[in-house]
Amino acid sequence: MMKRRLRSSISTTWQTAVIVVAALLLGALFIAFAGESPLECYGVMLEGALGSMSRISEIMIKMVPLMIMALGVSIAFRAKLWNIGAEGQMIVGAITSAVVGLYIPLPPWLHMIIAPIFGMIGGALWAMIAGWLRVRFNANEVITTMMLNYVALYLLAYMVYGPMQEPGGYNYPQSSSMAESIQLTPLGAGLRVNTSVFVAIGVLILIILFWRSRFGFTVDLLGHGTKITNYAGLNANRTIIWTMMLSGALSGLVGWIEVYGVHFRLLEGIGAGFGDLAVVITLLGKMSPIGILFASFFISALLVGGATMQRMTAIPYSIVDIIQGLVIVLLITQPMIQQKLQARKARGIYVE
Amino acid sequence: MWNEIFSLTFLTSLLAATIRLATPILYAALGQIFTQKAGILNLGVEGTMIVSAMAAFTVSYFSGSLWLGFISAIVVGVLWSSIMAWLSNTMNAVQVIAGIGLNILGAGVASYVYRIIFGVRTLPPQIDPFPVVELPLLSKIPVIGPVLFCNNVPTYIAFLLIPVSWFLMERTTFGLRVKMVGEHPRASDAKGIHVTLIRNIAVLIGGACAGAAGAYMSTAYMNLFTDNLVQGQGFMAVAVVIFSKFRPGWALVGSLVFGFSNALQMRLQAIGAGIPNQLLLMLPYIVTIFALISTSRKAEMPSAYTKPYVRMER
Repeated sequence: MMKRRLRSSISTTWQTAVIVVAALLLGALFIAFAGESPLECYGVMLEGALGSMSRISEIMIKMVPLMIMALGVSIAFRAKLWNIGAEGQMIVGAITSAVVGLYIPLPPWLHMIIAPIFGMIGGALWAMIAGWLRVRFNANEVITTMMLNYVALYLLAYMVYGPMQEPGGYNYPQSSSMAESIQLTPLGAGLRVNTSVFVAIGVLILIILFWRSRFGFTVDLLGHGTKITNYAGLNANRTIIWTMMLSGALSGLVGWIEVYGVHFRLLEGIGAGFGDLAVVITLLGKMSPIGILFASFFISALLVGGATMQRMTAIPYSIVDIIQGLVIVLLITQPMIQQKLQARKARGIYVE
Repeated sequence: MWNEIFSLTFLTSLLAATIRLATPILYAALGQIFTQKAGILNLGVEGTMIVSAMAAFTVSYFSGSLWLGFISAIVVGVLWSSIMAWLSNTMNAVQVIAGIGLNILGAGVASYVYRIIFGVRTLPPQIDPFPVVELPLLSKIPVIGPVLFCNNVPTYIAFLLIPVSWFLMERTTFGLRVKMVGEHPRASDAKGIHVTLIRNIAVLIGGACAGAAGAYMSTAYMNLFTDNLVQGQGFMAVAVVIFSKFRPGWALVGSLVFGFSNALQMRLQAIGAGIPNQLLLMLPYIVTIFALISTSRKAEMPSAYTKPYVRMER
């Protein structure tokens, strides 16, 4: 049993590695099209991503929120709830956690507990709307989470231009900055990476345990259909709502990390593009916690390395988007290709 | 401020802007009616639009012909959506994910190719966009004239496409087949209808229309290309289709709602009204959610919506 599981996870790792390499090779075609040497450009990218301690710190800064968010998205995805509203849930979490830091006077240690909880509640409630609409009205969660993304985006814009705007701050779309005592502390002098790394590790462990828990099994069961869940004597509707809330809570937590650890204030454009990135990571990681850990590292390195490549070579940053898009397209064709290969193999045996 | 809002010039300019902002959504939505009716949710419209917008601009810029640009955008739209057709109908991929993947890829490809061709410039290259064509006599009617009959040719075409797509969907065998493969692919197959072919065509029609929508953005609404030119309009089109319950006439209403709320916030901002425009911008998305609720309840979605058809499976 153990052995079989190990073997299957090794073969999954292999397949994913093949897909990543294939996406990079196709990306190389684009680089060649621009008249540059792919080998040289990827070299610059690698150097830019892993070349020094501060580069690694930059990767971690991106990896922490993206991994947590992808873990959240994976909970919904495994239940076949296509929650593509992680970005909106994160934005609402950022707003609610920022409210605590800006307006509620508390001792700093209490702030460090209350603010992330508020962020999680914000994200969870925002995701709950979509879950409830699905249960009550059978409204497709893809569309509702997507629409709620835009509503959250404009809610944030309203907040940072309106009620939460920094007083006397030259009309920038941002709030006042958080008091230093409640900011997340950097792990080393001159590095941006901060204590949120430990939060990420904690979340990762909790999610690994989650999939072994009773509720984790229920979520996986929901992925096989609402009817099956109900036959098993479990309430599918309630599971849908809780799954969405849990998924949203993790995105909301990321909102807190971005406000208190990266930007130190609420501002327009916080978390732009995070939702799509989280989806890419979730899929690349095959929705398993460890897979997501590696996938989030790869994608973060791609983002950081891509930025360096743009500065040092004639290759635009959008190559990063191209590679990610290719990764998704290749990933979703994989089951069918595998099926065809297996069918061919089976036919071969039959002929013999 | 209120005097200004209730003046005739304000009203006229507001409604004219509504039409301009509604047109690209209308284009994309009309095509997606076919795609979605055939049972395929293509969330990649956004990506198709941005790639086509780039193609339309580039071709127009170098050839000097706006129409050549417009047509190339449609061709690019068809080619780009053929990836979606292959993913959803041949590879039986999860359509939502395929759409998201193609959006990311599309945004990347459009921005990449544009930057490779035009390089980094301080001033973006520009073209002369489609000129306004005033229809004789009709354009002289007060308010209605300047709003409806003083537009560019692509806008008129979009409005003509409404009855065309209605006819195609409701009065032809092809339309019937599109609905059938969306409703009951197995029965269609038993009837001898080539399910995959019909679904592929439905996706490509959607791609052609999204191509036109993209071309409209870069060569008619604007006269340049930027990375964030499309900004959610592809998603709005998907929403409009659901809002309209797959009826072309209602797709116009949906597009106008989006166009109007967008135009209203722009106009109000222009005259410096003290209403927070962000709250107005939310309106179309909230309207869509409510429209979705009213549709989903009556189960008016195609039965095989987002479900790939596999012959071998029961």
